[in-house]
Amino acid sequence: MSLPRANYDPRRVCLNPFPEFTLGKHKRTIGVYLAGALFAIANWAFLDAAILSAHSKNPWGQPGNEDPPVHVTFVDWIPGICSLLGYLVINLIDKDRIRGDEGFGDSRAVWRARLFLFIGFALMAGGLAGSVTVLILKYVLNNYPEQFTYYGYANVSQSVLMMLSAIVLWIGQNTSSEYEYNLTL
Amino acid sequence: MAAGLRTVILLSFVLAVGFLLIILSCALWQNWLPLLVALTFVLAPLPNAVFAHCGSDEFGSSYDSSSPAVDFGRFLTAIIVVTGFALPIILAHSDVINSKAAIMSIAGGGLVYGTILAYSAAFSQEESDYD
Repeated sequence: MSLPRANYDPRRVCLNPFPEFTLGKHKRTIGVYLAGALFAIANWAFLDAAILSAHSKNPWGQPGNEDPPVHVTFVDWIPGICSLLGYLVINLIDKDRIRGDEGFGDSRAVWRARLFLFIGFALMAGGLAGSVTVLILKYVLNNYPEQFTYYGYANVSQSVLMMLSAIVLWIGQNTSSEYEYNLTL
Repeated sequence: MAAGLRTVILLSFVLAVGFLLIILSCALWQNWLPLLVALTFVLAPLPNAVFAHCGSDEFGSSYDSSSPAVDFGRFLTAIIVVTGFALPIILAHSDVINSKAAIMSIAGGGLVYGTILAYSAAFSQEESDYD
């Protein structure tokens, strides 16, 4: 009994699926715009929490109360920075080089590009995991009221939306080339 | 395309109403931070205008100009537009500006940006009808 022949190199650890949608000729434009919008929403969601925290000074609840118990500090910024670095790393890689079937000559370049792609995805996943960690350890476990756990939720939504933006940009950049390829043949 | 005098007058009227709303949202509450919205929406078409001439002069065969610079310009445009809508919401959320001022400045910014879009759509088709 033998395994069915795969159409890829079985020594590869992670395969990069290049989904092929041909939904229209403006797909790439829409994808890029949508990715930019998601990116901006992600960062503004977190900056909203940061500004809200900076402005919730002494009289936040009843008058005569103490300062609010928790603020957005640099710890909250770290997951976002990781996600941003991962976003940059993923999008700075040439997509043809990852695919590797173009005959670039140097096979080690393909290997290196996949390594950097892995680093980028690991940074984004690390940002997401870090934001969930901050949410749980800093806000949920200390039983802060709803007003303050919002900071943690904003952090998680920043990471998730930045991941969505990367996915949309990836798909949007890959589809149009396929479409044009089919068109010219 | 015969986008005549009437279009220009209508668009300038809408632009004036948009700026009126933004300035009113600042002046009624003596808080001039919503004026940033006008600046943001005026800056919004700038990346597309700058990056539109990058890299698309190689062959001219690609209909949907797919150079990375053009994509980056579109990305920046989307970021700036969303920033223009998000800024008043965030400022109102943290009680820096009044929520009515936020609504007025968003409406005014939408009118200003819509004017810019309509103007470029109405008058750019004379020279070339790509995009």
